Amino acid sequence: MDVLKRNNVSVSGAGSQTMVFVHGFGCNQRMWRLVAPAFEARYRVVLLDLVGAGQSDLTAYDPARYSSLAAHAEDILEVLRTLNLSDAVFVGHSVSAMIGVLAVIKDPTRFSRLILVAPSPRYLNDEGYNGGFEAADIEELLETMDNNYLGWSAAVTPMIMGHADRPALTEELNNSFCNTDPTIARHFARVTFLSDNRADLPLVRTPTLILQCAHDALAPVAVGGFLHQQIPNSQLVMLDTSGHCPHLSAPEATIKAIEAFLEPISSVSSL
Amino acid sequence: MSEADEKPLPELDLRLTEENPDDLYEHAPCGYCSCLPDGTLVKINQTMLDWLGYTRQELVARLCLQQLFTIGGRLHYEMHCAPLLILQGQVREISYTLRRKDGSTLPVLMNAVLRRDTDDKPLLIRVTMFDITDRRKYEQELLRAKDEAEKQRELLQHQNEQLTRINADLDGFVYTASHDLKQPIHNMAGLLNEFKSIATFHDPEADKMIGMFDQALQQILQTIEGLTEVVQRPRELEQAATEAVDLLPFTEEIIRSLQPREVKDVFKLDFAAVPTLRIARTALQSILYNLLSNALKYADPSRPPRIRVSTRLENDVPVLSVQDNGRGINIERHRSQLFQLFRRFHPEVEGVGIGLYLVNRLVAQAGGQIEVESEVGKGTTFHLYLPQ
Repeated sequence: MDVLKRNNVSVSGAGSQTMVFVHGFGCNQRMWRLVAPAFEARYRVVLLDLVGAGQSDLTAYDPARYSSLAAHAEDILEVLRTLNLSDAVFVGHSVSAMIGVLAVIKDPTRFSRLILVAPSPRYLNDEGYNGGFEAADIEELLETMDNNYLGWSAAVTPMIMGHADRPALTEELNNSFCNTDPTIARHFARVTFLSDNRADLPLVRTPTLILQCAHDALAPVAVGGFLHQQIPNSQLVMLDTSGHCPHLSAPEATIKAIEAFLEPISSVSSL
Repeated sequence: MSEADEKPLPELDLRLTEENPDDLYEHAPCGYCSCLPDGTLVKINQTMLDWLGYTRQELVARLCLQQLFTIGGRLHYEMHCAPLLILQGQVREISYTLRRKDGSTLPVLMNAVLRRDTDDKPLLIRVTMFDITDRRKYEQELLRAKDEAEKQRELLQHQNEQLTRINADLDGFVYTASHDLKQPIHNMAGLLNEFKSIATFHDPEADKMIGMFDQALQQILQTIEGLTEVVQRPRELEQAATEAVDLLPFTEEIIRSLQPREVKDVFKLDFAAVPTLRIARTALQSILYNLLSNALKYADPSRPPRIRVSTRLENDVPVLSVQDNGRGINIERHRSQLFQLFRRFHPEVEGVGIGLYLVNRLVAQAGGQIEVESEVGKGTTFHLYLPQ
């Protein structure tokens, strides 16, 4: 199997160090387009789509395999092995922040830094932990997704089955940047929002930056604090922005925070 | 400029000039609001305030657009709409549910566009909403129906697999039973012959009884042969390849086997419209043999048999018809039993009730179906629809 094709990997930029950007739920690698180019002058930049998202190989999405985030983490390690990369800077948004945590625990040699953008190790509230959501809220999200896929769910299904005998429709749907196959999106949403990676956090040994948005409905400030406390070698930086996507709503601040965090390695490599 | 544009406007009712943009904005038959890129509401029309039950002071600069949605919608907005607005400048036909001040909900369809300032920085989001209360109910009905249909389909598939299995078991049982019965019946026939040659009977009725015994044995053997065929033919056909069968010589051959001495004018063949059929040869052999022998067997004793075998095209599907002028069947009464195993309609004529059952099974196996017309005292016509 062609791993690079499977994850729609694209490589740009120049530098001895590599940065790998991984998008979150509901979108694809285009989400990084206001941030990633800023690093191309000094880093090799690797962008990819998680299997099931963007232009990845949708037929590779086996719900049984992808029923936990570990499978996506394994995919990322496969990409890094294929590109023969080690000591990479991993930048993961939302669910992919946790995918990065899992990857870094499995094979620490591949990573030199971990940057978690709007992360949450668990969305559901638990005893002594405030994730922000109840199970009913997640059901409501799935319902909202269903309401929005009504009408074109049948039209998209042929894409996942691999026969695009209705090109006009497929094209129309592809025009929307962050389109995902509804069946996969639903499954991935469940895996994402019901995952619990709190126990993995203390196992991270790689220096980690947590980028916390000041007003984020998905990852509240308290969750960022929890991550900072649980990940041994971590920094917490608060970005004064609203929403869940600081790399879109506050790209300059995001770039600045990442640059400041990477400063020591950049200066070491320039010595 | 087109011709239509050059024509003067028709005289308007003066009241229409009263339409002013402010009033249109406030009381439009849809909700309008504008927000900062982070969702903070900066302007909202009266229609939307009326929907929500909030005052303008309670919302403007205090709440975000996303906070007006149910939690599911809010999550969806943050993960889907907010990035899309920045990446492609607009979202269309997003289905959300508004939460009113009193806690009740209102389903809406939302369109939104992002306005940028002269430096291309996101400036403002303009939002339009439509009340879709009835449409949502209908959509949810559709979703439910889709779920239900999916469940039914799974159930049917399961039942189908079960029935296929049971059918195979039954075929196996019929085959074994007929096979196991054949040997003892043959033995009985042999023993009876032996018995006839050595025993003497004094009763004058004895000969007649032995004759009847013989006849009964023959009938059992015929039934067993028929049963074996019923199971074996379709099995053979599962492997048999279809081929183009030239109908005229094929049918003539079957007729020769049915009436070794040719009787003039009984059969009339007309295959001009469809001279060949793609079908497994052995299947067509069984089908035609059974239909034609039935037509002869159930001929009306009061008139010479006339049997017409023909083909035609109906909606591009070849139809093979066998028409006789025989005794006929009361089709209204017997339609549902016509193709049942062992079902017979003319007890006065010898037979075991297997032929039509087999014909029906073979036609179905070939992907076709049978229609029957019949009238008592007039005759019967079988139409075989055989899609190619």
